[in-house]
Parts: sequence; C-alpha cells; structure tokens
Amino acid sequence: MRLPARTIWDARIQVVCAAVSARDREHEDVELWMCGNFGQASLDPPRIIINPNRLYPIDGVIRREGRFALSVFPASGREAALRLARVRRRTPEKARAAGLPLHFDEKHGIPWVGGTLRTLFCEVEQILDTGDHSLVIARLLEAREHSSHRGERPLLYREISGTPSRYPRLEKLVRNALIRTGALDALRKALLRRRGAPAADLPALTYREGGQTDQEMAQILRYGASDRSRLLRPPAAPAVLRRRVGVCVVGAGQWGSYHCQLFRQASPQVDLFVCGRNPDRTARLAHASGAQGYFLALDQALADPRVEAVSLALPHHLHAQAARQAAAARKHILVEKPIATKLEDADAMIAAAGQAGVLLMTAEDVHFRPAIREAALAIDRGDIGEPLYLNVHAGGVMRPEGWKADKERMGGGVLMDIGVHYVRALRLLLGEPDRVLATRAMQINTKISGDDSVQALFASRFGWQAHLLLNWAGPRGHAPDIVIAGDQGVLHLWPGAAYYDLYPAAPQPVTVALSYLRPRRLAERLMSPVWQRVRRRIADEDPRGYLSEVREFLAAVGEGRPPASPPGDARRDLEIVLCAYASLREESWTAIPPWERRRDEHDAARSHS
Amino acid sequence: MTLSFFSEVAHHPTTLWVSVGQGCYTHQLIQESGRFSLALLRRGQEDLARRCGTVSGREADKCAPLALYRSADDFLYLAGALACVSCRVRSAHPAGDHTLFVADLLSGEFDTRASLHPHLLTTDLV
Repeated sequence: MRLPARTIWDARIQVVCAAVSARDREHEDVELWMCGNFGQASLDPPRIIINPNRLYPIDGVIRREGRFALSVFPASGREAALRLARVRRRTPEKARAAGLPLHFDEKHGIPWVGGTLRTLFCEVEQILDTGDHSLVIARLLEAREHSSHRGERPLLYREISGTPSRYPRLEKLVRNALIRTGALDALRKALLRRRGAPAADLPALTYREGGQTDQEMAQILRYGASDRSRLLRPPAAPAVLRRRVGVCVVGAGQWGSYHCQLFRQASPQVDLFVCGRNPDRTARLAHASGAQGYFLALDQALADPRVEAVSLALPHHLHAQAARQAAAARKHILVEKPIATKLEDADAMIAAAGQAGVLLMTAEDVHFRPAIREAALAIDRGDIGEPLYLNVHAGGVMRPEGWKADKERMGGGVLMDIGVHYVRALRLLLGEPDRVLATRAMQINTKISGDDSVQALFASRFGWQAHLLLNWAGPRGHAPDIVIAGDQGVLHLWPGAAYYDLYPAAPQPVTVALSYLRPRRLAERLMSPVWQRVRRRIADEDPRGYLSEVREFLAAVGEGRPPASPPGDARRDLEIVLCAYASLREESWTAIPPWERRRDEHDAARSHS
Repeated sequence: MTLSFFSEVAHHPTTLWVSVGQGCYTHQLIQESGRFSLALLRRGQEDLARRCGTVSGREADKCAPLALYRSADDFLYLAGALACVSCRVRSAHPAGDHTLFVADLLSGEFDTRASLHPHLLTTDLV
C-alpha cells in the first residue's frame, strides 16, 4: 500500500547513521552530533556533505573550527547511535553522556568516535545557509577503515528513528508480523475510510513537526546553543579508606552523635575520638560510640598526635574559629555545612587550610546523594529533553531551639540551614544560577529570630529557572523534595529513597492501551499518572549520601589528595544563599556573581566524577 | 539515472540535495526543467540500479522498461520503490565534477511495507 508522505521523514531520504565530531577549542570540549544525513557530493576531488541543524552546538563549532570527522556506525552499533541521538542537545561533553569512546587524530587535529566502521576526516570548503540547517560542503582529507567492524553493513537511520521503545525487538517483531500479514494495511484502510485521508502538505507538516523559522531559531538561541552553566558534577562512586585514620568528632550534641555513628559505619579503619564541653555528655557519647578517648577542649584534641583529622559538628558561627585552630595544628578538617556564616570566614578557613597543607571539606551530603548523581546522568542522556524548571519543596515542621533559634549564630534561618543543601542540588543538576529573587510569607514561629519559611526563584541566562520552597512552619506532606521538569519528561526525587521516578512525555504502553479503551468513562477511570511512571531503582546502601560523604573525606585524608567536594564549592553555596538573603532584604532580583572553580579544585573534583 | 549522492538539507524550507555528474543527460534535463523526482530503492532492486546507472539516457530510453506512473502533481514515480518524492530546484552549486542541486520537496509517497526492506546502498552494488 502506498500512502502520501506527510513529512520529510516519510520520504526515507535519511539513510546511514554517523557520529560527526569536532574539536571545540573555545570550551576545551569535543562536540558530537548523530547525523542521519550525509553524502558524497563529488568524486574528483572527493567532497562530503553534512547538514547540521543550526540549533545544535555542532553547527557553531564546525563553523569556528573548519574541520570535523564523520564516523560511520556499524549495524551492531545501534545502541551507541541511539544514545548519541537521544543525548541532551545542549549538554557539553556529549561523549561522556552518551558513553562513546573518543580518539584524537594528531595528524588532522580532529577527534573521532571509536567502535565505528570507518571515519572520514574532513575540512570545510563551503557552508551554505539553507534554512534551519546548514549545508556544509567539505573536502575529504582521509577515509580510514577500522578493522574491528570490517565487512559489517552500516547502521541505517530507520533502525534508530521513531519513538524510543523499552522493547525494541518485540516491537519490531510485532510490527513486521502485522505488515507481512497485511493486518496493518487493512487497519489503515479502515481508518482512512472512517476518518478520510489526512492532510499531506509535506513542507507544512515537516515544519510543524521539526522545522524552525529564522525568528524561532533566534528566540531559542538567545539562551545559547550549549548550556554551560553546570560546573559541578556528582562523584561517580564512594571512595574507600585504605589505612588507619584518627578522627576526633568535635561537638557532642545531636549532630556530633550522628557524626560518630557515621564514622563508625564508614570504615573499621577509623580510630574515633570525641571532643565536647559537657563532661558527662561527652563521656557518654564516647562510650556509646566506642571511641578510643575523649577531650573536653579543642586544644587538647588538636594537641593529641593520635588525632589526624577533626570533624566539626558545631554551631555555624563557630566553624571558622575551630577550623582555623585545626589548620594551625595541621589537622585535616571536615566541617558541617554551611562552611561558615560569612564569606570572609569561609575565605579565611580555605586560606588557613591551604597554608597549613591540610584538607578542608564541607559535610555536604547532597553532593553524594545517589539519586542526584543518577538524575544528573539522566538529564545528560536526554531523558527529560531540555531541563527547564527545578522545583524544591523541603523542610517540614521544625521548632529550633538554642543557637539554631538565633539568626546571628545560625547565619539566618531555614534558608541558611537547608538552603545550602538545595542550592548544591541545583548546581549539580542544572548549574550555576545568575540571579535570585527571594520572598517569604508571614513568620509562624516567633520564638526564632531567623526565617522559618522562604521561597527563592533562581534564573540562569542559559534559559532554566529553579524554585526553592524551604519551610519549617508547616508540614510538606508526601511529595518529592526535588522535581526537575524538561520538555521531554519530568524527574521526581524523593528524600532518602533508593530510587527516582521518571515520567516521560512519550506515552507509556499502558497509557496508550487505556486511551483506546471504550466507553471513554471507563478509560478515564482507569487512567492514572502511575502508568506513566518509570521507577528507577538505585543500587546504593546510602541513599542519603551521609555515609559516602564521610567515606570520601576519610579516603581523601588516607590518600593525601583533595576531596571530590572541595571547600570552594561550599563557599559558593554560601555565596548564593547570601545573595538570596540580600534579595529578601531588598525585595528585588539580586545578581549572583559569576563563579569559576579554582583550577586545582576543578581538576581534583573532575578526577572523581 | 541511478544516483548515489543525495540527502536532506533542511526542514524549513523542506529541502534536499542531489549531486549529479555534470556530464550526465539527467544533469541537462534537471537544468532545463528545474524539477525532478527521486525514487528511493530498496535491496532487491540492484539490477534496476545497475541498468539505470550504466547507460546514458542519450543512448537509450531507460524509462521504458520501468514501472513508472504519474503522481498527482505530474511527477514520474517508480512502483516498488521505498518512497518517491517530487522536487523543484531551488539553487544549483558546482561541486568539482558534479553539480549540487538544492531542491524543495513538494510531495511524496511511501510504501507502507518499507520498514521490511533496507535501503539499497552503493556498497550493495559492488
């Protein structure tokens, strides 16, 4: 049966799949693009043509660099090609996101993708502006065949086109059976008789499904072809301590007790000590946690040679002084979040640790929360398309007492206490915000001088926004604490859960089946968002990240290396929260200063991600 | 003629490119008429591809033995092809020994059984 082609994709002119790669020297990156449209334009001299979409970063990179490689996928490379085809359009480091092996050809100065049939190294001769795609005509520098796939057929575009399926083989089998038996054509004919022939204005429908006018492209490109706002990445896996380390937990309160418990769980290689001002409580905690000893003053702990590192579980305003003392005594430091209450204090702590040559790390569990690590990977893979919004609803009824009720010692209220956590989550998942508008409802808890509820709206020049609702005034109910919404799906992250949920935009099989159910009322009754949910389990014993955070600190001390979460990251969290406080005071948008990781911290953190 | 070199150009405007040897009879016909149709061949049509790719239209009527029919917009389509499209030339660009014709896709047809058959590749003819 022959049907009118409704779009350019019906015309079957996309034939063979290839990975186009180009070096992006401006960003020290390699840009990649899954190309289903390339061809040879002439034999003598040999010329290659590709047509990158102008919305894709590869277009700008090829225009700048003038060189690219085209690596043809073998038929067996379907999964790799699919990963590249689905990877988020604006994400940098696409090879990492798609899990593709990259090589660099020194002779031509062009990166290329391994595991392919052959690679064509090309130099741009001419670029024609032909609408929403560019037509790149390039001279062939070298065609190199790779022996690993010799004799294999290239991967055809039709093998990777269409809606992603969870069961591609089964779907193909069923579809082919329906075609062979003529059942599909019979169904089509019946539908055509009932509904009439659909409109077949090929240019108009192609534009509607995937074309852009110049104006539309300018609108999209206002936010950049690439989103380079994300500078932090979650570490890949918790580290392991390989030698004995003596650690003293400073602070015998509730959180100090939790630190003791974490260090005990983290590794049998830890020699644990406790330091507190209250003799009874400190002794009890030391006994309960199986500590080797305890101290009643920080000076005593720092003077003991068995103590190699301290873990500061102190009121926020005491972090700076205690950290400086520890650094002066050449002890490594794990400090509770926030790193300090003022930027000057954070700077002094970082400088003191640097001068003393000791390790300083902030205990930011969110950095090690497995669901955030997995969600960041899912975003890169393109599971939700372009991320647009991040929503946080965190807190729960809390009535702080003591120093936590005092905004001077606390550094603020709920925005400082849990705001730093979710600012870190925002930075790991979406990136660095450029401005913030914070506002708040009425104060409910008048027994504390800090804020008991705040909402903050963050915006990025790269086109995404984030909303943080942090609330100690009332309950939060049963809801995810982090929601990330993109144009192709939404992710729900649940506090303390060893899974996260993806709700893809494409209808899931049950949703599709129910949509055909009649009477319609029955379909509506049975339809539920749960059918659209894809729950992804995470194999990790530490869903909150506390244990991994402590293990990373211990491993960094043990190996004498910088931690995966350097102190500059925590200083930046504080800076962003302080900008939110400034906005709260001024009742207006506040610019957040640009940030760049220090080179040494950048390199150290990247080696763990 | 049998053409190895073609692909998509843009979605808006909806265009494709074909690269045609400058000495070919088809090159002359496209230049004169400013329009052409493209039939996508499938595996199993190797003979047809060889027949149309080794003889010039100046020497023989290659259309006569083919199962051609006229589309609604009066273009010649090939029965049994994966898909056929009607094209109108938008611009022409010399490319070495070939000319690159960029053309609007006006309309087309596809075979609903196309997913059973892979495209015929140049390497299948070697």
